[in-house]
Amino acid sequence: MTSRQFLIILVAVQATLLVALVILIILNRWIRQRRRLRVHPQRVLVDAVFQRWALGQAWPAEVLEGLGRLPVPLAIEALVTWSARVATEGWQELSRALEQQWWARVVRANYRSIRWWKRLECARFLSVAATPRDVSRVLRLLRDRHPAVQLSAVTTLERVESAVLVRSALEQLPHLGPTVQAYYASMLKKSRKAVVQHLLHLLRRLNDPTLPRIMEFAARLEDPALREPFTTHTTHPDPEVRTQVARALGHYPHRESTAALGVLVQDDTWTVRAQAVRSLGMIADPATLPLVRDAMRDAEWWVRLRAGLALIRFGPAGRNALLESEVGAHAEARDMAHLILGLSQQALAEYAA
Amino acid sequence: MSVLSDVLRGTDVAILAYFLVLNSFYALLLILSVPEIWEQSRLAEDEDFQRLMQSDALPPITILVPAYNESATIEASVTAILTLEYRNFEVIVVNDGSKDDTMERLRHAFDLVEVPRTYPETIPSAPQRAVYRSRTRTRLTVIDKENGGKADSLNAAINASRFPLVIAVDADTLIEPDALLRLTRPFLLGRRIAAVGGTVRVANSCTVRDGRVTDARVPRRFLPGIQVVEYLRAFLFGRLGWNRLGGSLVISGAFGLFRKEYLLAIGGYRLESIVEDMDLVVRLHRYLRQRKIPYEISFIPDPVAWTEVPESGRILGRQRERWHRGLIAAMWQYKTMLFNPRYGRVGLLAVPFFTLGEMLAPLVELLGYVVTIVGLAYGIINVSFALLFLVVAWGYGMLLSLWAVGLEEASFRRYRRVGDLSLLLLYATLETFGYRQRTVWWRLKSFGTVWRRRQVWGEMVRKGFAAPR
Repeated sequence: MTSRQFLIILVAVQATLLVALVILIILNRWIRQRRRLRVHPQRVLVDAVFQRWALGQAWPAEVLEGLGRLPVPLAIEALVTWSARVATEGWQELSRALEQQWWARVVRANYRSIRWWKRLECARFLSVAATPRDVSRVLRLLRDRHPAVQLSAVTTLERVESAVLVRSALEQLPHLGPTVQAYYASMLKKSRKAVVQHLLHLLRRLNDPTLPRIMEFAARLEDPALREPFTTHTTHPDPEVRTQVARALGHYPHRESTAALGVLVQDDTWTVRAQAVRSLGMIADPATLPLVRDAMRDAEWWVRLRAGLALIRFGPAGRNALLESEVGAHAEARDMAHLILGLSQQALAEYAA
Repeated sequence: MSVLSDVLRGTDVAILAYFLVLNSFYALLLILSVPEIWEQSRLAEDEDFQRLMQSDALPPITILVPAYNESATIEASVTAILTLEYRNFEVIVVNDGSKDDTMERLRHAFDLVEVPRTYPETIPSAPQRAVYRSRTRTRLTVIDKENGGKADSLNAAINASRFPLVIAVDADTLIEPDALLRLTRPFLLGRRIAAVGGTVRVANSCTVRDGRVTDARVPRRFLPGIQVVEYLRAFLFGRLGWNRLGGSLVISGAFGLFRKEYLLAIGGYRLESIVEDMDLVVRLHRYLRQRKIPYEISFIPDPVAWTEVPESGRILGRQRERWHRGLIAAMWQYKTMLFNPRYGRVGLLAVPFFTLGEMLAPLVELLGYVVTIVGLAYGIINVSFALLFLVVAWGYGMLLSLWAVGLEEASFRRYRRVGDLSLLLLYATLETFGYRQRTVWWRLKSFGTVWRRRQVWGEMVRKGFAAPR
């Protein structure tokens, strides 16, 4: 074949592709518009039925009938939208009724589909319509290889209480990225009782490398039952664990907490000291004021900043300590005190957060 | 004569080979963009934004807004940014010694009050005149500083930022309300993201209400209209294709989210760079690869920001010349990465593509035109063959542009009207005739500027956004 013939073939192929592409683009637009015109009124109708049902003016059967008429993705979309607006008991009743619907059965069966988007659809459906009978399905979806499926599956914890699911999610938690961890944590908070029970067990694993992440999550719960495990880790060899202890104890105004923080505020690692000083400020026990005042002379800027902010929380006594530092002999403490005293209330609140 | 003939034929074959390799690579990007856009649009459709908004899992974000002589648009764009649908963010506007009344407008619109500086200067930047907080918008901080350029302003804003993720947004850019939520998707999926970019679209001719694009239109004027297709092509298939190849070198400076710790580690934006976003991304790749830190630099298409593009050929030419000059500078600066296996796919695929493909393309294209003309003049090249070759080259460009329009239609369909779709198809077809040659000329000029070692910044004249009709 000569180069000329090759080019002629290329031109012919290109021309065909160009024409086909233009036709496809136009056809795609036309088909989508037709579908939209057909489906949109049905969606509006379902929203109206949902509205009446939420107000007690319609039966769940009417909602189910409307949902059955919608394409499956739109039905799931409607369920997700309305799940946040309807009271729990009513929603549970609807979830139970949905078990009998043919389309819901098909969606449920997709939990073991080889296509991730089908599993995602199933996880999304179960996140709002799961019943206790779906625990094994959700468990499998929680361990799915696609992160979007896992994320949707963990949302089920908002509606279904199950120790098995809680345990599985808690065990995954330390291995996840920070944002996913925070999302899991926000979902796990809803099943507080089961979570605390399992956490008490996990916090006993002294040499577990995932301990800092578990503690970080446990601190978010602020549950009184968890204070004691925190204080027992005050002298843990891993500085990250001690940092988490120092951070968490601020939520537990108790004499054992202040005693532990008294130790942590003199830690060799500055991140531990900074968190300990912050927590002392949160508890604001007048007996610990000298510790915080001393931290104003710390070698690390961030510890001094945390100490300055903590002193504000001690009220007039803390403010006096700051004023003393502002005219004191220690140059860096002086600068920090000057900085803190110049901050507006809003800036102080934002820093404290 | 026979020597000339041999030279011309040899050059011709080389250009043909270059054309084939480059376009095969484009074809690969084109093919890879299909599964990528499909996956991304599935994920976007299934995202539950209501639930995300209520969750405290979303990472806090600092929005960095450098502003230089942005008096016409600053109030609208900052207001729009402040009303984004996101739970935890702050906005830091840096007035980079504007010569107009940008600072006054900010002070007046947001009731600014001077506050002491409370952060260390981790990355050096030009002297700061003052730091302000807004009394009416608690999320807003404004830094007024001496002029030091966009990169310097961004560095000043990074120093002042409190959050682990930062996003640089041009003051003339309008971000869609849910764009930040969408941008955080890869973080929620647990990916080790170092940087993530969204789509930038053309705002000219769109209706803007309260700093939001309420009606997306394709401009009827040729230059801005054709840039709509260019942007679609650059974002929807170029960058999506690179996602699959793992070597995206460009996260738009107008709309890109970065992990702050990495920005600090590489010393922030480089003041000498001409196109700071590309320079930053290449340096990020280099830093992370050298330290063997697992990471992803990714692009997701559904978060959208709208920007005003030049409407005059003169300004557009200056912009394109600067972009290409930036590309040349970046590729020269990081030439050690070229074909260097130490940098993985970035060194073996992305940098060679951007150097040999994107950077040298205008030179090769010019050479192609010269060889064709000389060859035709001396009767060495056959007229019909030359025409055929031209048809193939132009047809391919047309195919790529139409493909980008096709991807837009199959996924996001921002332009709802049939008239707008027709315009898109028309521009995609016409782009090859005249406009493409002009861009080649602008890019060629950049080689001349680099040769003369000049660093001239084009000034963008902004009209401000259209009011709703």
